[in-house]
Amino acid sequence: MNTADKETVKAGKKAPAALSKKTGNQRHYTPPKLKLLVSVVEREKADLYLALIQGFEVNMQLSMAAHGTASTETLRYLGLSDSNKAVIFSIIREDRAEAALRYLENKFQTIKNGKGIAFTVPVSSVIGVAIYQFLSNQSKKETSI
Amino acid sequence: MKEYSHEVIFCIVNAGFSEAAMDAAKKQGARGGTVIGARGTASSEAEKLFNITIEPNKEIVMIIAPSKIKDDILHALYREVGLNTPGQGIAFSLPVDNVVGLSQDLPPAQ
Repeated sequence: MNTADKETVKAGKKAPAALSKKTGNQRHYTPPKLKLLVSVVEREKADLYLALIQGFEVNMQLSMAAHGTASTETLRYLGLSDSNKAVIFSIIREDRAEAALRYLENKFQTIKNGKGIAFTVPVSSVIGVAIYQFLSNQSKKETSI
Repeated sequence: MKEYSHEVIFCIVNAGFSEAAMDAAKKQGARGGTVIGARGTASSEAEKLFNITIEPNKEIVMIIAPSKIKDDILHALYREVGLNTPGQGIAFSLPVDNVVGLSQDLPPAQ
């Protein structure tokens, strides 16, 4: 089992079983929310990061070419030389987002030429049950408890 | 309501104006940004009706900034590359609830 798998299992255990509350005799189920995880990485490392993020139950990712605008002085300070970047948009379930960010933070520091930034933005709405199930990587059974 | 420490600012400008947008943002304390090439999809009917031409080639400038300087940056973008300028830019910001990889120890950009 590699580190990514370990992290995944660990995060899975930590996550709340399901955001279900018992009120009286009725059991309410709130489906987990989604977040948009945006990562800006060196372009040559885009495929690597896409694969790493996929390990966090991410089913849809979008990668696009971009370039950085940091001043050359700042770039030198950080030890970066290439301004060619890739921006990766990933839709991730809320309970996996924290683990994914911590994992990416670690990778940004340890992978050679793998520096980057990542952040999450809350997604307020999604239309379509099948789309939601696909994006959240949850089967019909899990979402209709 | 939850307080967010950082915001991500998206500024969509005509191609070639990303540097002007970055310069305006840097003057307000932004450190760096990422430029993504894009293509606008304004309706040709509206173009005819208002007798304007919309350059389809766009650039999206994405800037992560501390929430406290977000308004300053948005105002600067509006002034320097807003819809009333050749940059024809629009800018908006989204709250970022968690961010990793920012270089906290760097001095602010001059």
